[in-house]
Amino acid sequence: MIKHTQQHKESHRPSEILEALRRLEFGAAVAVPDGWLGEILVRIEQEPTMRLVRATHEEEALAIACGIRLGGVRTVLIVQNAGLLSMGAGMVCLAQRYQFPLLMLVSYRGTAEDPVFYHIPKGRATEPVIQGLGLAYVRADRNKAIGPQIEAAATYADESSSPIAVLLSREDIQW
Amino acid sequence: MVSGARPSRADYYQVLASALPSQTLVVTALGNASYLWAAMHHTPENFYIEDAMGLALPLALGLAIAQPARRVVVVEGDGALLMHMGALVTVGALKPDNLIVLLIQNGVHAASGGQALTSPTLDLAQLARSAGIVRTGNVATSKDFASALNIAFDTNGLQVLVLSTEPDLEVVRPPVAFDPVLTKHRFMAAIKAPRYIPTMFGGGKLQADGGES
Repeated sequence: MIKHTQQHKESHRPSEILEALRRLEFGAAVAVPDGWLGEILVRIEQEPTMRLVRATHEEEALAIACGIRLGGVRTVLIVQNAGLLSMGAGMVCLAQRYQFPLLMLVSYRGTAEDPVFYHIPKGRATEPVIQGLGLAYVRADRNKAIGPQIEAAATYADESSSPIAVLLSREDIQW
Repeated sequence: MVSGARPSRADYYQVLASALPSQTLVVTALGNASYLWAAMHHTPENFYIEDAMGLALPLALGLAIAQPARRVVVVEGDGALLMHMGALVTVGALKPDNLIVLLIQNGVHAASGGQALTSPTLDLAQLARSAGIVRTGNVATSKDFASALNIAFDTNGLQVLVLSTEPDLEVVRPPVAFDPVLTKHRFMAAIKAPRYIPTMFGGGKLQADGGES
């Protein structure tokens, strides 16, 4: 366990996320940024095998992602947890009702590890809202390599034909 | 806003059905936008949205991105557009040259019974131009729609046509089942979308063998 943790102190987890998306042949990412997500979106934009779409609102981003997946391209949705709170109708009426497999990478703001006063209300509401939506989710484990966790969630999305959210901390996603 | 001179949605759909090139993908918004289109021109290349108001346009944008070799037509309502007007900005920023946007402007929330819109007479074509979409136009007759549509299908490029329409409040009964998962699988099989091949070891990927998702 100690060896495992030490190994990952030296790793760059956002790079591992990007590498996992590349390895799993994600062809598109649809995103609304926040402070933690800004740089990884730039890196995705520079990827020759991925198309980044910058949306104006998370529910719109969700629908764009569903459309890209409908067209046969593996798609990841990248948003802050505020976006999970604001995309509820689209999540249940479109993504879940039509059973779109979607990997969602979510910056988890407002937890006890991110005690910014204006993020805290979102942090407090995030998991109860996810559970209320019936949305599958997992909180990334910082003591394990992040790449396999992304791969497992992506596999879950496709094998269950449903969206799944991966809640990420700062060291997971901020470049 | 209401004047008996405007064409009905069915009038416009008749023109669309006549002009539609084969292989065109059509995404229709909730309510009669989908029900009537299914009644008049059901094909597997139609993707019908039920509920999810305001999300037909962004979904069609995603589809146009994923299928650049296919022309995509989306029918969205004015109320739905107001609900997610940001999608028009995203469309204008990306400018997919295979997307034709038809905005039904009837001035009401027709799908929910005809309630008043926040702004029933907004110049949606001007909004589209402000979003960076060059080819936009207001259409108020079937004849003008036929002309505009023929030009749109004959040329590449993002286009937005605003169709001034009488509200149709009577709900049309579609001739096909509107099961959402069936709609999705039928559509993806028709366009031979790559499908996911499950693997008990994880790390499965999409493979282009023309099956369902």
